[in-house]
Amino acid sequence: MQLTIITDLNKCVGCKSCQVSCKEHNTSGVFGPVPDENPYQDPDGMWWNRIVTMESGEYPNTQVMYLPKACMHCYDAPCVPVCPTGASYKREDNGVVLIDYQSCIGCQLCMWACPYGVREFDETEGVVKKCTLCIDRIEDETLPDEERQPACVQSCPTHARTFGDLDDPTSEVAQLVSQRQGFGLMPELGARPAIHYLPRRPVPSPVSAGEIDALVEEKY
Amino acid sequence: MKPAPQLLVLTIGQGLAVGLVLSLLYLSARGLLTPALVWPLLLAALVTAAIGGVASFFHMHQFSAARYILRRLKTSWLSREALTTGLFGGALFLLALLTYLVHPNLNSDSYVIAVAIVAFLAVLALFVTAMLYATIPAMLSWHSPITVLNFIMLALLGGNSWALALASAERVSHAGLAATELVLLVLAFIVKGLQWHVFRQAHGRVNPATGFGLPFAPYRLQDTGTTKPPYRTQTQIYPPLHPHRRGQVKVVMGVLLGVIPAVLAIVWMTTGRVVYPVISAIVLTVGLMVERWLFFADATHSSRVFFDDLAQVPSRVATPLASRMTRAREQ
Repeated sequence: MQLTIITDLNKCVGCKSCQVSCKEHNTSGVFGPVPDENPYQDPDGMWWNRIVTMESGEYPNTQVMYLPKACMHCYDAPCVPVCPTGASYKREDNGVVLIDYQSCIGCQLCMWACPYGVREFDETEGVVKKCTLCIDRIEDETLPDEERQPACVQSCPTHARTFGDLDDPTSEVAQLVSQRQGFGLMPELGARPAIHYLPRRPVPSPVSAGEIDALVEEKY
Repeated sequence: MKPAPQLLVLTIGQGLAVGLVLSLLYLSARGLLTPALVWPLLLAALVTAAIGGVASFFHMHQFSAARYILRRLKTSWLSREALTTGLFGGALFLLALLTYLVHPNLNSDSYVIAVAIVAFLAVLALFVTAMLYATIPAMLSWHSPITVLNFIMLALLGGNSWALALASAERVSHAGLAATELVLLVLAFIVKGLQWHVFRQAHGRVNPATGFGLPFAPYRLQDTGTTKPPYRTQTQIYPPLHPHRRGQVKVVMGVLLGVIPAVLAIVWMTTGRVVYPVISAIVLTVGLMVERWLFFADATHSSRVFFDDLAQVPSRVATPLASRMTRAREQ
C-alpha cells in the first residue's frame, strides 16, 4: 500500500485553503508542532504545505499555475537512508514517510537530501518536521470514514485533491494517474515520489481568424 | 544552502587535524622528526580535532538523541562520519599519550607505523566526511567526485601550512615542506577551478519544466509559498549570491588561500625568517574559512527551482510567431 494525494492542476485555484487547513490541523503557535515565531504579524514560519505560484509563457500565450507542495512520500525517499539515527523512516504498511522527534538530532541532513525542499527545521524543538499525510486522522478509527483523510484534501473547495492508495490499480487515485498522465516532480533525481499531479490541459490561444488567414497566406 | 558556522568550524578543524597528522607522517617517515617538533604538531592536531569535535556537538540540536547516532551505519554517511571521526580522534589522543609516556624513538619503524595507523584513520575520516556531501543527489553542486578531491586537497594544504609554521618556529628548517606547499597550492586551485565549473553547471540544471511540469518557458515565480529570504525554516536554501558578490568572495579567497601563502613560502625559502610561515598559516586558515563559506552559501539545491525565476529569455516559440504576426499585420 502506498497512500498518496493526487492534485488536479486544472482545478487548483490557489486559494491556499489546503495550506491554511494543514497549519490549523497541525496546530499553530510557537510551541505547537508547526510553529511560528510571530504568528500574527509575519507569516514566514513553518508550513508543511506551501502553494507555489508560477506564471509561464509569453503574452498572449501565458498561464498561471498553483502548485501545492508538501512531502512527496517517495517510494525511494532519499531523506530516509541519510538519517543517522533512524528518526526518518517509511512505514511499510502504508508508505507514509514520518519522523520520530524523540530520536531526531536536528542535523538537517535529510533537508539537504530531500529534492523538493519540503522538510522544515523547527528551531524551537531542534528537530526537522514535515507533512505526515495527517496520519493521526487517517488512522483514527473514531472518525467517520469520510473524515479519515488529510486536512488539505478535505478542505479543498474545488475538489482538486484526491486521497487514496496508489498501489491499488482499482483505486480512484491510481486510475486518475494512469488515465490522465499523472506526473511526479523532478523524476531525474530518482526519488520516485508517490504524490502525483494531473497536468494542465492546453488553453486555446486567443488568435483571431484574420490572423490565422494572414499566416496561412504568408506561408503558402 | 545556509552556511552554518558549526559546519564551517567542524569541516575546517577536521581538515587541519588530518593535514597535520599527514605532515607528521611525512616528517616521521623521512626521519626528520625531533622532540622539539613532535609536540607542537601533535598538540596542534589535537586542538584542531577537538575544535571540530566540539563544533559537531553544537551542530546537533537535540543532544538527548545523540545516543542513536550509530544506528544507520549501513546507509548513512553521517553515522559513518561519527564513527570514523571518533576513531581518528581517539587514535590521535592515544598516539600523543604514547609519545608522552614512553618517549619512543621518533624516527624508529615502530613509531612510523603508529603514526601511519593514525594517518590512515585520519584519511578515512576525511574521506567519509567528504562523501557525506558528495553523495547527496539533491545538492546539485556537491554531487560530484570533485567535492571529495576538494576536501582532501584543502586538508593537505592547511595541515602542511601549519606544519611548516611550527617547524620553522621550532627552528627545524625543512625546505621540503615549503616546496610541498607550493605544489599543493597549484593542485588545490586546479581542483577549486573544477569545482567552480561544477557549481556553474549545477546552477544551470535548475529546470522549472521538471519542477512544475509546465509546458511553456519562460517562467516567472509569483509566490514562493509564504516564505522569504533568508528562509529561516528551510536551511537547504540560501538567498542566491549576486554574481558580483560571488566574484568578490572568489577574489578574496584566491588572495588569502593562494597568492599570499605562495609569496610568503617563496620569501621564507630565500630569507628563512620564522615570521613568514606563521603569517602564511594564519592567512591560509582565514582563506579556508572564506572558501568553506562559499562552498555552502553558493551551493545549488534542487529545490531552488521553487525559489527562482527562470532567466528572462524570449520564448523559442512565441517570439517568432509574434514577430510573424506583427509583420503580417503591417502588410
